[in-house]
Amino acid sequence: MRETWVVGAASSRYGKMPDTGRETATRVALEALDRAGIDPKAVGHTFVANAFGFTERQAHIGPLINSALGIPDVPSLTVESACSSSSAALHEAFVHVAGGFLDVALVIGFEKLSQIDTLEATSDFALAADYPYETLNGATFPGLYATIASAHQKRYGTTSAELGAVAIKNHANAARNPHAQFQKEISLEKYLASPIIASPLRLYDCCPFSDGAAALVVAAKDALPSPSTEPLVIRASVRSGSLGDVHDRADLTSLPATKTAAAAAFRASGLTAAGIDFLEVHDCFTIAELIALEDLGFFPAGSAGRATVEGLTARDGKLPVNPSGGLKAKGHPVGATGAGQIVEVFEQFNGLAGTRQVPKAETALTHNVGATGSSCSVHIFSRR
Amino acid sequence: MTDAPPRDAPPPSPPPPTHSIAEFRRGYESEQRLRGYRSACGFVTATWGLICPSCGQRDLTDGVLSSRGRVAAYSVQTVPTAEFVNDAPYAYVIVELDGGGRITGWMPSIQSPEQLAIGDRVRWSPTYRTGVVFERETPASGDPTASP
Repeated sequence: MRETWVVGAASSRYGKMPDTGRETATRVALEALDRAGIDPKAVGHTFVANAFGFTERQAHIGPLINSALGIPDVPSLTVESACSSSSAALHEAFVHVAGGFLDVALVIGFEKLSQIDTLEATSDFALAADYPYETLNGATFPGLYATIASAHQKRYGTTSAELGAVAIKNHANAARNPHAQFQKEISLEKYLASPIIASPLRLYDCCPFSDGAAALVVAAKDALPSPSTEPLVIRASVRSGSLGDVHDRADLTSLPATKTAAAAAFRASGLTAAGIDFLEVHDCFTIAELIALEDLGFFPAGSAGRATVEGLTARDGKLPVNPSGGLKAKGHPVGATGAGQIVEVFEQFNGLAGTRQVPKAETALTHNVGATGSSCSVHIFSRR
Repeated sequence: MTDAPPRDAPPPSPPPPTHSIAEFRRGYESEQRLRGYRSACGFVTATWGLICPSCGQRDLTDGVLSSRGRVAAYSVQTVPTAEFVNDAPYAYVIVELDGGGRITGWMPSIQSPEQLAIGDRVRWSPTYRTGVVFERETPASGDPTASP
């Protein structure tokens, strides 16, 4: 395998974008290439992630983006893995570049949802659950994670204040992130006063519906020995899966795919949890951040909530988690989310994170979940 | 000369299970039963499959799941999908069935989280409404169940 780098990255601001997903994604892709100092004509393949293109009445978007980038003859593949679509697209790019099939690949993730209302978005998201066995029996996506939260509370005594601490921390980080949808802090009082969406989860436990785009330029070290940016060395790119239905899993309080992906990623990278400086994890709901930290092996099962209350995962804590603001407050434009996490790593490694810069950014882990953990990506990065 | 089978013939395998997603839905919609299967390893589920996701065996026995059990996890949802737009709030439940295995369903009668607890006993309540509907088990309720 060849050493493979992320040499350029860019993101739109998440929230509501005025243009189509196609236009924003293409602009962000060109920005990532320009940041890397790479001409679009050097790209051998694009991997485009988009989960809900049907809401924009557009499928097979990749060739349209390539055409708009002036590279109509370059092949494109659209990757769908629910909320982990663009980390899956990065994995595809990694496999091709590390395997020697491509020198430079472009990963583009985007989503445009602001044209649909809450009822339609809630219904569309629920399509990524098991329709006849979960959705038709009443499940929504917040509801599925809420059942996990209820089981976690029952087993470990996880409290509302612990869930709230995740939301408060991530809002504080997002307040310093110009890419974030919510650039405002919240208090525990405000958190506790927010309405129940799916008990025990309140409005401020839930990520928003978001528009957004993010792009990554992936290149072989051999092909680009002197990059113009501080590259992210991809030390591990791992995908895993687990039983599609939450209720069929033996343990309702964790996501087995996270555990298997983390174990394989640490093994491939040669690093341990103690060697990771900061994390971007999949916090579509506050409970998801807690179980991610436990399943990834950074905290014992049932203890991540307490660690969050104690500030260990704050931006200036011992292990900064989601310095971007996470899905919770930076936003969750489904197809862009996984790539967007890596944009944060790129900006942290390159000293571009402004007032949210973490104390140490030599290594990082990103964790991106599809649906309720039936798909999972874990990437580990280090400096050269 | 012997009639030996070709060397690349696949090994004989048990006949595929007859259950289907359509049969699962027909079962609870009109046949008064929750259909599922039990695997050789003991894994029980209603979720359609050809090979047991727990042990990898193809030896799946179709059957009828118990219609009673305990709440393993739940959430009272206030923001529904289009299928349940006129029903919220209600509880979405994961039920640990008495004969093994879990199934999901919803409880129209539960409208706030304080009205239900993990461990509470519930039973399937066949209805014209969408999906698998559960209600609290009462001492008087009959038992229309079998085990797979």
